[in-house]
Amino acid sequence: MNTSVKYLLKRLGIYAISGWAAVTLNFFLPRMMPGDPVSVMFASFRGKLKPEAIEALKQTFGFTDEPLLNKYISYLSHLLNGELGISTAYFPEEVSSIILSSLGWTLLLVGISLVVSFIIGSLIGMIIAWRRDGKLDSILPPSFSFISSFPYFFTAMLLLYFFGFKLGWFPIRHAYNSNLIPGFNIEFIVSCLHHAFLPASTLIFMGIGGWMLQMRNNMIGTISTDYISFAKSKGLSQKRIMIWYAAKNAILPIITSFGMAIGFILSGTILTEIIFSYPGQGYILFQAVQAQDYQLMQGIFLTTTLSVLAANWLIDILVLILDPRTRK
Amino acid sequence: MNRSWYNLIWINKKARLGIIIVSSFILIAAVGPIFFEDPNAYIGTPLLEPSFVHLFGTTGQGQDVFAQTIAGARSTLFIGLGTGFMIVLLGLIVGSLSGYFGRRIDNILSLIINIFLLIPGLPLMVIIAAWLPPGPFSMMGVLVFTGWAWQARVLRSQVLSLRERDYVNAAIITGESNIKVIIYQIWPQMLSLIMASFIGATVYAIGAQVGLEFLGLGDVDKVTWGNNLYWATNDLALLTGSWWTFVPTGLCIALVSFGLTLINYGIDEISNPRLLSERIVKSRLPNLFNRNGSTPVARELFGK
Amino acid sequence: MGNKILDINNLNVDFLSEGASIHAVKDFSMHINKNEIFGLVGESGSGKSTVIKSILRILPAPGVITKGEIKFKDQDILELDESELSSLRWSHISVVKQKALNSLNPLLKIKEQIIDTIRAHEKIKTKDAMERCNALMDLVEIDRNYLNSYPHELSGGMKQRVVIAIALALKPELIIMDEPTTALDVVIEKEIILKILDLKSQLGFSLLFITHDLNLILGFADRVGVMLEGELVDTDTAEIIKSGGNNPYTTKLINSIPDVSDYSQTKADKNEPELIHVKDLVKTYSRHSSFFSSDKFHAVDGVSFNVNKNEIVGLVGESGSGKSTISKILTKLIDFDGGQILFNGKDISCITKRRDLLDYRKKVQVIFQDPFASLNSIHTVYHHLSRPILIHRSYDKYSKKQRDQMVKKEIIAILKEVDLSPPEEFLYKFPHEMSGGERQRIALARVLLVQPQLIIADEPTSMLDMSIRMEILDLLKSLQVKKGISILFITHDIASACYLSNRLIVLKNGKIVDSGIVSEIINNPKDKYSKLLIDSCESGWFINQ
Repeated sequence: MNTSVKYLLKRLGIYAISGWAAVTLNFFLPRMMPGDPVSVMFASFRGKLKPEAIEALKQTFGFTDEPLLNKYISYLSHLLNGELGISTAYFPEEVSSIILSSLGWTLLLVGISLVVSFIIGSLIGMIIAWRRDGKLDSILPPSFSFISSFPYFFTAMLLLYFFGFKLGWFPIRHAYNSNLIPGFNIEFIVSCLHHAFLPASTLIFMGIGGWMLQMRNNMIGTISTDYISFAKSKGLSQKRIMIWYAAKNAILPIITSFGMAIGFILSGTILTEIIFSYPGQGYILFQAVQAQDYQLMQGIFLTTTLSVLAANWLIDILVLILDPRTRK
Repeated sequence: MNRSWYNLIWINKKARLGIIIVSSFILIAAVGPIFFEDPNAYIGTPLLEPSFVHLFGTTGQGQDVFAQTIAGARSTLFIGLGTGFMIVLLGLIVGSLSGYFGRRIDNILSLIINIFLLIPGLPLMVIIAAWLPPGPFSMMGVLVFTGWAWQARVLRSQVLSLRERDYVNAAIITGESNIKVIIYQIWPQMLSLIMASFIGATVYAIGAQVGLEFLGLGDVDKVTWGNNLYWATNDLALLTGSWWTFVPTGLCIALVSFGLTLINYGIDEISNPRLLSERIVKSRLPNLFNRNGSTPVARELFGK
Repeated sequence: MGNKILDINNLNVDFLSEGASIHAVKDFSMHINKNEIFGLVGESGSGKSTVIKSILRILPAPGVITKGEIKFKDQDILELDESELSSLRWSHISVVKQKALNSLNPLLKIKEQIIDTIRAHEKIKTKDAMERCNALMDLVEIDRNYLNSYPHELSGGMKQRVVIAIALALKPELIIMDEPTTALDVVIEKEIILKILDLKSQLGFSLLFITHDLNLILGFADRVGVMLEGELVDTDTAEIIKSGGNNPYTTKLINSIPDVSDYSQTKADKNEPELIHVKDLVKTYSRHSSFFSSDKFHAVDGVSFNVNKNEIVGLVGESGSGKSTISKILTKLIDFDGGQILFNGKDISCITKRRDLLDYRKKVQVIFQDPFASLNSIHTVYHHLSRPILIHRSYDKYSKKQRDQMVKKEIIAILKEVDLSPPEEFLYKFPHEMSGGERQRIALARVLLVQPQLIIADEPTSMLDMSIRMEILDLLKSLQVKKGISILFITHDIASACYLSNRLIVLKNGKIVDSGIVSEIINNPKDKYSKLLIDSCESGWFINQ
């Protein structure tokens, strides 16, 4: 078997184990906690569900007197069918449908901000690492570093306050104008972009610093290597060395770190959405916490975990394509 | 390094600024609340703008924002530093066992570290915190559980590389026990990294803590920075334009985190001799120094 | 004037630091004539690399040139600006560095790296550039197909040849080579030197060759210069340098080249019992040449030998021969995959319990190659030497005060034995406060305090200055006789192995190719490889074939 395929399967194995760990943790969590959260959870249903329905829920998620292993297996089989329970915050909607309808908005934000902040951040990082003539290098990294010290939602609050509230340039809540009907028409798409601008900018603004710093540090490391000094002594132009020799080598470890970064970006996205009432995973997570909607919380945990694992695997494939040393 | 640690770090301007910022906040956290009676007391009309009477104005419930900002420091910093310490301790132990003994132990521990790194932090924190009763220990527990893996990985890779040094093998061959080798031969060579890890972990702990409290999962009865922001959002600060209810606290959080990060920059510059060399040339020969250019010729230096 | 291609006058280079600058190169003056081979010799730290990098002005910070002129033909390199320097580099002067393995960009194909060199200096169509690439590859005898490969797909020797090819790409008039063969084994070294000489006669360039291996350079240089601590202390034709030169340092260097025929005549006592017996030892590694493929690589491939009590056995092998692996196996730092090792009759793979392991460690000790790396920089001499005493002697019944006194006494005694005096001065020194030779003596003291039966000396002198190697070897010899310890002396330098050992074992690619008492191996080598190793001790060895 091709060694690259073997590698990808090995990585898939790790992700599978992680996914299993998350799922299992999810199962055992309520049973491990002090106090009696299970009763708490079901108390919140009373008055909203018929007793038979509550019993059915208990069966679904194993809060019965059956042996632990059976409960676990039935839990897993429900998961594989996509049944994540019924939400209390959005009663009587199913958790899975709530998540599905909000997932897209989160992916939109994450996607845009990741790509834009990575590209801009890496470019800036490459240039200031190469030139390092004092001015840019002493202003930009500390400034972005300072901004990155803000909590995500704080930056969101600031942006919303200035550009949304004071200046009124951008809307301050939701994903699109509520007067419009969703569809693939220009008006709708423009409205989406208009609404997404501030939240995406928050994420981009916060994210640029990280990519810039990583790229700058990697470039500095690369610049001191033998093959760079060899390239200089060969008389190659500064531009060629900067891009094809230094940056090309510096960027690989960053792409490898995409995987780790995604989890972090997701956290930031969640917090940002809350400020802007942007109807993604973050916003519904907030509603779930407020309403003590455990089913929804756990459902979101599972879907975000699975998304992150899947994204990591895609990145592994990307690295395989980009780095010739990993192929044979 | 022969010069004492203090001199080395203090000389570095970035680190010095960072230390000043962080110490100031620690001082405020320790001493500040003495000057205020009860930050939760109702002292005036809600949502008053900043004035001489109330320096930062009032919250949506009529409390003094200034008092709340000062009072919030104590809890946030205490939990942040405590969590940072525990994360580094745990990371150091796991990382050392993994990096030193290698093979099967490393495979298992690395797998565990990787799993913790892959599972996204905030959602995990949310579901655990939701089930736990509120309180500082729950908070620290959640933060350590979700955050230890990053430092563990960093420390592990350093132990792994130090493990191969001749002096480690020499100590083993002399007959030194494994524990003593780890503690006396490997850890002393990692001091700057351990320090940097502690600071990094503290920054993480502060940010994550604030995030959880913002969601309402902290101990809502206490005055903390995260809770201040939670209440500010709940009281519709943004929609009423009451910026003073969230800006002071947010800035404090940013300043503390930034100060800690500055200290880390300083440590990094000290332990990276090449950056030091370049700065020296740049400061002595500013006109001639070009990072990527040729070696400068400075005939005027001769005859010094 | 017309014949000089490089003329350096009074070059001074400083390294700036926070305190006083370090004056790395002092009033360096030399010249190279057209078509001449000039060898620049000096120990590590003598400043030769600094001089080279200054010529092309690629010396990194904190280096600064403070005085002098470097004339290439008639231009002073120190007066040129960036663009003039760019066009000078490579088309007129090119450099091949040590460890060229790292000189190639891992993410670009070989052909791209050759072509961008050419493109940086002349406009050329892709088709013509490819033809030049093909010609260059033929010149250094590498298959043209490798032009489409990435650097990690080539072997070390091939990468070195590619770098040489790139150095020739623009037909420069002066080529500077900085220790180009140091990391390569003797067989490849010979090929490459011959190839360089061949290319020089074909293309006609001047060569500035830097090395610390005096023997090597005396074989083919026209003139030789000797550097010591930043100064050029001697320069003359190769013959004159060979016969001692004009400076006492040169004479000392020449004399410190061990003579292969100067071997110890004393044979070991044949009746001494076996101390360590190795039979059919095998160790395989899965080598990851890329991240995922694993070829099985036999580091040690069926090796059998023994060391008796009270003798010195020299294990001679170059890098990649398996000698360091054997050392690690014998000290139980790593396991082995096949064969048997008996120490005093007992199988060492049965040693698993901590107490038995400690017992074994009491008997087998190691001296490492790099004296700086084998002493932890944060501990003093006192710490390093007190550890073996406290671990291996039972001083439990004594009070702390008594114990400290006894430890200190023993340390001072051992410091005297390894010729470090006055011993009291060394007690609280840190490793960086001592010279390489002194550190290696401390390492030896540490080993002796354990009172072992076998010392494995893994290249104990190869990182020391040539002038003090002999001192350390003599010290080992005298201590061995005095204490009756056996020594397994591992080295790549057959001459010093002959000097020190009673018996020799020659290792290549994980297998033993020759073994016997020293006089036999020298006069009657059974294998082509051992003969090559012995011949390489004569200067000019690779020419007389």
